[in-house]
Amino acid sequence: MKRSSRTMALSLSLSLALALCAIAGPAWAQAKTELTVVLSSFAGETLDPVLQGHLVKYYLSPMFDYLVGTTPDGTPSPAGGIAIKWENSADHKRWTFHLRKGVKFHNGDELTSEDVKFSLQRAMSKRSTTGYAGPLRTLIQDIETPAPDRVVIVTKESTLIIPTYLSRSLSTEGMVLPKKYIEANGDDVFARKPVGSGPYRFVEQVTGAHIKLTAMDTHWRTGTPKYKNLTFKVVPEETTRIALLRRGEGDIVEVSRERVKELQKEGYPIHFRKEEAILHAYWVLGPDGRVGPTKDKRVREALNLAIDRNEIAQAIFGGHADPAAIPMGLSWSFKDIGFKVTPDMQYAYDVPRAKKLLAEAGHATGFPLDIYAFQLPGLPEGKAFAEALAGYWEKVGIKPRLIPVDYPAYRKLWVDRKAPEAVGYYNIANRDWIGTYALLEKMAYGPSKPNDTANDPEADAMIAQVMRQTDREKINTLMRNIYTRLRSEHVGVPVVYLHSPYATAKTLGKWTPGTVMYDLFLEQLAAGK
Amino acid sequence: MAADPVDGTLALPEAPTRPAAGARGRRLPLLPIGIIATFIVVAALAPLLSPASPYEQSLRHRFTPPAWEDGGAWAHPLGTDRLGRDMLARIMYGARVSLAAGVLTVLLASAFGAAVGLVAGYYGGRVDAVLMRMTDATMSFPVILLALILAVTVGPSFFNVVLAIAVILWARYARVIRGEVLTLMELDFIAQARIAGAGAGRIITRHLAPNTLNTLVVLVTLQIGYVIIVEASLSFLGAGIPPPTPAWGSMIAEGRDFVTSAWWVSLLPGLAILLVVLAFNLLGDWLRDTLDPKLRQL
Amino acid sequence: MIRFVCFRLLQSLIALAILSVVVFVLARATGDPLHMILPMSATEEDYANARQYLGLDRPYVEQYLTFVGRAATGDFGNSIRARRPVSEILRERLPNSLRLALFAMTVSLAMAFPLGVLAAVKKGTGLDRAAQVISVLGQSLPSFWVAIILVEFVAGRWQWLPAGGNEGFTSYILPGFTLGWFVVAGLMRLLRSGMLEVLDSEYVKLARLKGVAESRVVWMHALKNALIPVVTFAGIYFSILVTTAIVVETVFAWPGLGRLAYEGISSRDFPVIQAVVLTTAAIVTVVNLAVDLLYAVIDPRIRYAR
Repeated sequence: MKRSSRTMALSLSLSLALALCAIAGPAWAQAKTELTVVLSSFAGETLDPVLQGHLVKYYLSPMFDYLVGTTPDGTPSPAGGIAIKWENSADHKRWTFHLRKGVKFHNGDELTSEDVKFSLQRAMSKRSTTGYAGPLRTLIQDIETPAPDRVVIVTKESTLIIPTYLSRSLSTEGMVLPKKYIEANGDDVFARKPVGSGPYRFVEQVTGAHIKLTAMDTHWRTGTPKYKNLTFKVVPEETTRIALLRRGEGDIVEVSRERVKELQKEGYPIHFRKEEAILHAYWVLGPDGRVGPTKDKRVREALNLAIDRNEIAQAIFGGHADPAAIPMGLSWSFKDIGFKVTPDMQYAYDVPRAKKLLAEAGHATGFPLDIYAFQLPGLPEGKAFAEALAGYWEKVGIKPRLIPVDYPAYRKLWVDRKAPEAVGYYNIANRDWIGTYALLEKMAYGPSKPNDTANDPEADAMIAQVMRQTDREKINTLMRNIYTRLRSEHVGVPVVYLHSPYATAKTLGKWTPGTVMYDLFLEQLAAGK
Repeated sequence: MAADPVDGTLALPEAPTRPAAGARGRRLPLLPIGIIATFIVVAALAPLLSPASPYEQSLRHRFTPPAWEDGGAWAHPLGTDRLGRDMLARIMYGARVSLAAGVLTVLLASAFGAAVGLVAGYYGGRVDAVLMRMTDATMSFPVILLALILAVTVGPSFFNVVLAIAVILWARYARVIRGEVLTLMELDFIAQARIAGAGAGRIITRHLAPNTLNTLVVLVTLQIGYVIIVEASLSFLGAGIPPPTPAWGSMIAEGRDFVTSAWWVSLLPGLAILLVVLAFNLLGDWLRDTLDPKLRQL
Repeated sequence: MIRFVCFRLLQSLIALAILSVVVFVLARATGDPLHMILPMSATEEDYANARQYLGLDRPYVEQYLTFVGRAATGDFGNSIRARRPVSEILRERLPNSLRLALFAMTVSLAMAFPLGVLAAVKKGTGLDRAAQVISVLGQSLPSFWVAIILVEFVAGRWQWLPAGGNEGFTSYILPGFTLGWFVVAGLMRLLRSGMLEVLDSEYVKLARLKGVAESRVVWMHALKNALIPVVTFAGIYFSILVTTAIVVETVFAWPGLGRLAYEGISSRDFPVIQAVVLTTAAIVTVVNLAVDLLYAVIDPRIRYAR
């Protein structure tokens, strides 16, 4: 009698304990077939590649294939894309892509050159709002499909940029979409139920909450995937993201640089994308160029010398940043173009010299300076950073005025040139030399570009020349000279290179997040490579 | 019922079942009053009392713990924040900003709201209907959304915060005061005053308004705390009183990622808010119980 | 009574119409959504194209009339950022907000009842004071702070409850509690004073004299009467919950209306801003109307329709 009641009590308490665990315990039951990625923002949350650029790559790259694939470090590679080979004509005006055979979309349709042509036209259409739709529109004259496995892109001018612009390393223009499916069902249905050819297919989306994908049985990009289900969650508050990590409900979690130490102490592996962006501050131009005291090169140099980049890196960015020396210097391109940052190019922290320069320029008593303070995706420390800038410049006599805004409001002022000489900043995503050229053409090039921040005719001339070159050596020389010029003219305040941390579950295993903009190369993880 | 039709003082009839409505006794709530007084003094004398400037940054000394912790120093008794600014100084100066925001907002809202409520209650009919629908429409607009829209349109600032909250808050006063006025209008002394020839203006200002004062005082006291809390939420969303101005709400928002690592950055201003708001709420409760326990819907 | 209801309904519709103009103007004052969706390199022509494609280049009056005309049928246009019908997004998010508000309301009532009854019955004692402080505490703490502390400790460190999202019943608990604690004080106060009043009434004194057990006195007679104001004001507090959930939704990653509004404002997405404000206003208006009706029915001394 006693024994049976004891057994009953034991089994009862055991089942009770199990039940409690099931209700309230951490999700260690989350089997290794699930991978959950927790991000702070999904941007527009649209699933149609042409409606947004950049940020959506996080969750669209597993679903779609690119015409030109890349390795995790951004080098175009035949192994990762639809094109297994590409070649250019002698005059660099005809680019021929040979396509992989036997690729099927998630709905069973075969992927042919028609789909590639359709996708590219769609990316360049009026409806498209991707990052490089504009340049492609001006550059591409025609798209030919001589065979189901061959596409020829004809450009109006000689250019080297076509493969990179259609690759995984930049934005979404290179994604190949299913022509038959979209034409049959329309854009709206496609945006809600996207169909691609990538290793993962779409399952469901709850806006503001998550996007769920599930693996295809096998795929040429990954083989048999390790993770059957891939879920992307959007959680704006960092404390909550970290709580998800601790509870085992997030395997890869976007964290800010300050929390890294705390998580490392608890044993969570942190993967860094080193130098993922350069934090670059600059002065907004007036309608006709530079205005006010910053017209004088000495003032611009002084403002550069007045900030302690090492201290900023340590204090604001938790040590996960390195001082930057070149305005808009996208370091991932430096090795491509053979550019070396020598020690004398680094800005010293030299307050006396800064004051001296200001006095020489006639501003010994300082001058008022507006600093816009805002946060950006990937830069949660934005406002603190702006405050720090103000603090440093105050010490050399400047009278800074901090203006908190949100980024859209600031962008309008910048682009409309309604806040001349105000200080703004951006964390410019690092990229290879072609991407760098694209960036310089936007942000450092005067002619008809409202986003210009450099206001330097010599740099303009050099950038214009790059556009027309097809000789790599000449291009490299030009770009080196451009950077040297930007630096010697102090066109902005390059502050630090930011390393972006991703905290992962302890059971995740080996993962190389790679160095491609907005792309975590998750299928690498899946394949256990 | 004793009523003086000339100056409008009125002894309202006691509800027949009520003995000394035993709340917490007639004693003054010394603790809440003490807390509020302390903070007001600190706010007023902040420049004299504060050990340092609340704006001076020193990145080298960021995140210094309070003096009694390991690594703390008495140079910064309550530690420093993320940019190395002294926490004690920021809390003291923050009292000015937070209290000023609370009081100013509530004064604006109550003045306008009471006026609307008085007019609506007195005139009734179409005037009342129009004013009350306006009030309803206003009350249904979420405060935080309006403040966000303002912040995004003209930029966050102290006055935008006050304006955004006051523009919605007045509706609450209007509704409550109107309710009061409706009750008062049923009483004889208003009819008597009218017969005596008093015009609308006189009746409203001399007879109705003074009798709604109790309600107003209670509501105002209770709402100051509410406004301080709303400012904190706005700062959390990026639409509050902007940096580098020290305001308790913004300070908590800035420290929210360091809840365990640098707990003093968010906990201390949080305690300040808690003490002040709790004090105002308790004081308001006592006032209500003392002045007119019938105001239970507040 | 019917006349009163119809009259009030009409007035509420007029109020909503005025609100629609206000929100239309406010939404457009926030700025240009195109800056958010077009890339940095977009030219003037790109902007013009996009503007035309999205219908933003038509005269304001025309835009307003289209907006109102469609809104009456529940069509709020397409979100500029998400390029989908706003009504679809609303349909996804609104139930989440409503459910959370309901849960929060339940939590508040569950807390307010014992606290209020206790305070009334033990009036004047330390327990009364303690109950008071506990409920007022909820009103004296910024909700985002409570939320973050709960997420950090209860969800993250001790791992008792989920941290975010809305999958499963347990994920309602933390956000529901955070939202609900804020209004506990008001409800508790109502209950307490209502009960005090009844407990002192002649009716109850008579019951006591007759020898009815004290607990019966409390629960059966006093509570029933004290419930009335609580119920009527629960309705108002419900609307407070729906409209102030934005902070809680952000911390707990709850896919509700609050976050939708925030995202809409951040991206200057006019249709979304308009839709959310009007929807929330409609909910609050309906609730207010119901409460007013209830109040007028219960307490005929207060004349509403004059």
